[in-house]
Amino acid sequence: MGLFQKLFKGPEIDMEKSNANAKKMRALFDSVVPNGEDYRLIFGYTEDVSRFNYGFVHGSKTKIGNLIVGWNEAEQTIVVVPTVPDLSGCGDPTYYRRSEILKAYRNKYPTDAFVIYPDKKGYIAINAYDWLEDESLYVYVSQDEELAAFTDFFLTRFATK
Amino acid sequence: MPVLEIGAFLAVLFAVFAFANLWFHLVEGLLAGIRRLLLGRRPPKPWHPLPPDPPEQKTPPQQQKP
Repeated sequence: MGLFQKLFKGPEIDMEKSNANAKKMRALFDSVVPNGEDYRLIFGYTEDVSRFNYGFVHGSKTKIGNLIVGWNEAEQTIVVVPTVPDLSGCGDPTYYRRSEILKAYRNKYPTDAFVIYPDKKGYIAINAYDWLEDESLYVYVSQDEELAAFTDFFLTRFATK
Repeated sequence: MPVLEIGAFLAVLFAVFAFANLWFHLVEGLLAGIRRLLLGRRPPKPWHPLPPDPPEQKTPPQQQKP
């Protein structure tokens, strides 16, 4: 392949690394969620943007939280497990059962995040993409098919409006 | 002469950048300290390390017939 062809082709996904991370995601999820094998998984993340003004220095800070998102079509349940980009560990799972949540919808602006309100007090906005290159910030995993399946599930069976 | 002026201008820009960075981290540190004092230390959230890979199942050695 010529140099220019390679340049125009863009970044290529390291499938070996992606598959290894998918296995780690599964191991982590199954270790903290009972019957975890009944859930399909994608990687998602949250963004917490805050503005600051320290006199003549002002701007915004963005905190990114990595998530393993599992969904069970039969039980209409989404489970979110916080993790870190290298998948060395994870936190406790949070369950969002469709029968218990206040509302859920897919956002359109500024990002097409999956938004779930468990109650009136708070919400979670899950961003998910086919693949994100920056390994220092996000889990390196390619997930075209799984993301399409999750999007379909969320829009047709989980969203409340 | 213009080279000197350009250099001086860049030096001023760098000084402003460096001072702004120092100021930002100083204020961030102070705010974090105040938050720790006011809110106290919260217990860390539970964290589960990645479980080790299951050992590969080796086929048992075949018993030799006498």
